[in-house]
Amino acid sequence: MNIRQHVVDSRLVKAKRIVIICCLLSTVYCLLSTAFSCVPQKEKIFKKDKILMDTLVTITVVSDSKDTAEKAIDAAFSEIEYLEKLSNHYSPDSEITHINRNAGISEVKVSYDILKLLEKALYVSENTEGAFDITIGPVIALYDFHKKIRPDDGMIKKILPLVNYRDIIVNRGRSTVLLKRKGMLIDLGGIAKGYAADKAADTLKKQGVRSGLVAVAGDIKAFGLKPDEKPWKIGIRNPEAKNKEDDIMATIELEDMAISTSGDYERFFLSGGKRYHHLLNPKTGLSANECRSVSIITKEGAYADAFATGIFILGPEKGLKVLDKLGFEGMIIDSQGKPHLTQGIRERIEFKRTVS
Amino acid sequence: MQQQDKYRIALLSAFALGLHGFENLLPSPIPWLRLGLANIVTLITLLLYGMRPALMVTLIRVMLASLIAGSFLGPAFILSLGGGIASTLIMGFVLHIAPRLFSTMGLSIIGALFHNLAQLFLAYFLFIQRIEAILLITPVIILFGTLTGTVNGAVSALLMKNLIKYDQKVQNVNEVK
Amino acid sequence: MSLRELFHNTTLADRIIFSLMIVLSLSGIAFIKEILPDNSTLHIYVDGRPAYILPLDKNRVVSVEGPQGKTVVEIKDHQVRIIESPCHNKLCIQTGWVSSGAIVCLPNRVVVTLGDPDKHKKTVDATTG
Repeated sequence: MNIRQHVVDSRLVKAKRIVIICCLLSTVYCLLSTAFSCVPQKEKIFKKDKILMDTLVTITVVSDSKDTAEKAIDAAFSEIEYLEKLSNHYSPDSEITHINRNAGISEVKVSYDILKLLEKALYVSENTEGAFDITIGPVIALYDFHKKIRPDDGMIKKILPLVNYRDIIVNRGRSTVLLKRKGMLIDLGGIAKGYAADKAADTLKKQGVRSGLVAVAGDIKAFGLKPDEKPWKIGIRNPEAKNKEDDIMATIELEDMAISTSGDYERFFLSGGKRYHHLLNPKTGLSANECRSVSIITKEGAYADAFATGIFILGPEKGLKVLDKLGFEGMIIDSQGKPHLTQGIRERIEFKRTVS
Repeated sequence: MQQQDKYRIALLSAFALGLHGFENLLPSPIPWLRLGLANIVTLITLLLYGMRPALMVTLIRVMLASLIAGSFLGPAFILSLGGGIASTLIMGFVLHIAPRLFSTMGLSIIGALFHNLAQLFLAYFLFIQRIEAILLITPVIILFGTLTGTVNGAVSALLMKNLIKYDQKVQNVNEVK
Repeated sequence: MSLRELFHNTTLADRIIFSLMIVLSLSGIAFIKEILPDNSTLHIYVDGRPAYILPLDKNRVVSVEGPQGKTVVEIKDHQVRIIESPCHNKLCIQTGWVSSGAIVCLPNRVVVTLGDPDKHKKTVDATTG
């Protein structure tokens, strides 16, 4: 073997070695990068609770830093606190109390949010044949769910004339509200939480959050996608749940939508073998009994909340018609426990176990 | 295998075991972050006598250490064995295909790296199935592995230098004789 | 025998591997610190303010003072329940043992929340109804 060939040979050998080393290094690199990509994304989920509006409010956001998340969540909580001050009819200083006190006397100037709330409430009343009616206040006042007190038929008959949403006069131009008859009481309990969820979500968006979940008890507003690119998943409680295992009967994914559920198990007492719950029929003053729970999905939380209440009182057949007319999705569980679903929700909802 | 080789392996294994025992006496805040001093012996064996003796030394050291400690066939044993074999194999492999690419220190670092990687893999598949836990400690382990690998490599390099000098001295003496 | 000698004996490849590993591991550590997950702990809030943050691994009984009185919380076998509370309807006590989610005593303004023990198994992000 002469020198030249020797040199060529050694060069070839060197080249071969370099190639092998490159292969080895790239394998190591691939292994390392797959390992690193298994690590969860930089964006994390942050959750915070606070008791507001007499219930547990949980706000969940997706953010890449704890500080941004906290700041946004706290701002959203402040917004809900602000709304609570305006709408709480138990508080002597709220605008609603002010309106109630001036029932049959004079109109009251109100802030933007109260005006909006009332307008939305009236819209729901009109679309549920008056089944949803925020003037139900005087009748609810006759019930005490703690002490298990309910009014007799005479008391209800006397007070029923005060219940009529058409007696609410809203003047947009002057930004005022008037209750026509003395003794009328507005109770925003069936719509305020949904509205608060909407406003809280808006606050989060204004703070730069691109994905979040606001749950004012069971009135929920979701927007954006989770870090794993999946939508927020919401569980729907089983109205007949006897133990914790049966608690959730179905789940549904929400993409920029709100969901609310009205059920006969939220505030109630049993007396004389009958269930008296807080969803009262404005025409009779008694607990509506055609449904056990109603879940509504639509863009606005205020409407999801209010329509859930209204449709609960309307019953399954009329309720489904309303949903179809307005293009909302929903599930109505009637007094027998049978679910009635809108066409759209059928494809999206996942039942946890076979519901008969 | 020649008689001389067997003696060598036995002696080297004894050294490795001794170093391991010595290392155990040293206090350490974190249980599995060890210096791996015995790997010095493995590396030197590899450089001087080749892959097979190096593997044998590693195997014997790991087995005896675990027998003495009473953790034979236990998790520590499996991890040590896996790590030791992986690192020996990889160092031998690198030496074979690219003898002059890495110096002693580089080889030691590579060996330490693969020792740790093998242990992490084994820990994940056999003991802790939670990938988040494993991935959580991986960077720390690799950091420590690189540092100890460097230190061990330095010691190995020094030893090699002195051994060669000694070897030459002996050879000279022999030749003269 | 000096450090300088040692350094001169290293090849380029050595130094590359060394630096690479150091850089990777340090950045890995920094990365991990950012996304540190929340391990299984119990938070008790009274009136929105944190009153206790406890690990779930030790069985114990704690009590917190709310506006209506004393609410007593028990931790046992990685589960939580409220044993006593001054509220009217005792719904919080009726909830029984929970291993994830929250127990709330609204009247006494007490919220007991647990970090999810296994985030992967969580099915829903919120519940309506």
